[in-house]
Amino acid sequence: MMKTIKQTSLILMLCIVLNACSSDNTNQEFGDLEINFTNLVGENNLELNTETYAKNGNETYSVSELKYIISNIVLTDTEGNQFVYPQGDSYFLINEAIPQSQNIKLENINANTYTSITIGFGVDQSKYPLNGVDNFVPTAEDQGMLWAWSAGYKFLKFEGIYTSSNVTDKPFLFHIGSHGQNLDNYREITLNFLQPLALSPSKTPEVNINFDVQKIFNADFDLLLSDKDDIQIDPENAPKIVDNITKAFEIVLN
Amino acid sequence: MRFLIFFLGILILSACQNEALDESYENISNENEVQENVFLDLNIPSNFPEPTYEIENNKPTQAGFELGKKLFYDGRLSSTGVISCGFCHIQDFAFTHHTHIVSHGVNGALGTRNAPSLQNMIFMEDFNWDGSVSHLDAQPVVPITTEFEMNESVTNVLNKLQNDEEYVEMFNTAFENDTIDTRNMFKAISQFVMMMVSTDSKYDKVMRNEGSSFTEIEMQGKSVFDQKCASCHAGTLFTDQSYRNNGLPIDPQYNDEGRKRVTGEEVDKYKFKVPSLRNIAVTFPYMHDGRLPTLRDVLDYYDTGMVQTQNLDEIFIQEDGSLGISLSETEKDQIIAYLNTLTDDNFLLDDRFSEF
Repeated sequence: MMKTIKQTSLILMLCIVLNACSSDNTNQEFGDLEINFTNLVGENNLELNTETYAKNGNETYSVSELKYIISNIVLTDTEGNQFVYPQGDSYFLINEAIPQSQNIKLENINANTYTSITIGFGVDQSKYPLNGVDNFVPTAEDQGMLWAWSAGYKFLKFEGIYTSSNVTDKPFLFHIGSHGQNLDNYREITLNFLQPLALSPSKTPEVNINFDVQKIFNADFDLLLSDKDDIQIDPENAPKIVDNITKAFEIVLN
Repeated sequence: MRFLIFFLGILILSACQNEALDESYENISNENEVQENVFLDLNIPSNFPEPTYEIENNKPTQAGFELGKKLFYDGRLSSTGVISCGFCHIQDFAFTHHTHIVSHGVNGALGTRNAPSLQNMIFMEDFNWDGSVSHLDAQPVVPITTEFEMNESVTNVLNKLQNDEEYVEMFNTAFENDTIDTRNMFKAISQFVMMMVSTDSKYDKVMRNEGSSFTEIEMQGKSVFDQKCASCHAGTLFTDQSYRNNGLPIDPQYNDEGRKRVTGEEVDKYKFKVPSLRNIAVTFPYMHDGRLPTLRDVLDYYDTGMVQTQNLDEIFIQEDGSLGISLSETEKDQIIAYLNTLTDDNFLLDDRFSEF
């Protein structure tokens, strides 16, 4: 009886081993990567509610809420080869009010030396809701980053109050996402590492990325809150905001 | 014997270096489940176009379909536990909210639009009267989370399902990764809805030469329809899937801007999706806000009721400046007779889709 069990289990083990070996079995090693996002206004850490900041057009503002979605992370190595992080695990909601949301850890990345990182801002609607984007629904929903009427994500939720020559402490509100096929506000941003990033099973590198809130108003385009302080489904201004945002990220340490 | 075990042990360890062992286990179990779970055939007939839905990404199975059906008819998808998808989408009326001008949600809340029919969804490019959803799998988000519909959160729905043994078992059977998550829930609902194809009306049987033929009045109706209606209600689906302003007087109660809500474009103000006319005889009342009770009212409206509002479709502006589509009373009778041939009893009475 005992012998039969032993023999059976041996055969079973052999089968498993053979099966395992039949798949591609290169000696690829894996490592992890940590990315820390810091939201700044110019040089200073963003402070919600308590600080008032000067902006272009002689306006001042303070921020009550800043949230945005980062997705589709791709690393490019020294040879130009790309490592595409699994899309289903690639959606992150950075929320200024939740410090731990600003530190993300990517796991099981091919060990290699990388020279740049590409991040998506928002959700690529050509893939929506496939590739796991749908499993991001509860996270987005809990933090108010989902529209109810359109089954779409808010890529950016940015709110506060502002003062201009005409108004004092008036609310402003930017809710930016994609709408239908014609208003695609998803953007991809490629950032070069300051020095080649070596990633191995024994070394988990950290990358610090700054996001400069000021640039939302003022990069490619100059936006005045006194011109428009409520920007949501807006085919003219929403694309300007995300174009500005492509200039707002900067790697400061790796 | 011991040596053999030792040798095998080494083999396994080296094989496991990159987790290949786990993968092989997964493959074995997946194959078994696929064998248990029968794929369903959509049977799309020759007179229909290619589906827009990527069926390969979510092939309907018996278990997925049954799960989707249970979800579709389950009131627990709403905050009050009683409003299911099927509450507003009733099969006998091509999955519309029969006789309800605008649809009702939790606690008697009223919506602003008439529930559209659910049929031939796999051929549609986008969804809802304003095209606010561009993928069938994403559609459930809207009714689940809208305050005056099911007024629930997706997170809460998933929690309810995860605490229900029957659902746990059904998700296990339907999906390889055994998980109750948003993706699988939406995929299951899509598997149910994608099987709802209405392709077996008298019209279809005539078109496919399956032994039916139009009566004289139906034939006359087809002729008028093809001349005066088919540029928008085009093709086998009886819609060109475009958004148009068909000149309805603006209802101040809703002041519904239609497609503009989705695109933000002024040129899309007051435009709504051209609806399919399949099973149109049973989907009353009509228009995006259900303001017209009968087909006769609809034809009277196109004949004499249209008003000039922003972005009125040019197709309705006649050479002499008059608005609408001129129709005689005889032509109206004929068109209605023709539209009645689009009623597909095999679909409306199909047991596979029925709640009980």
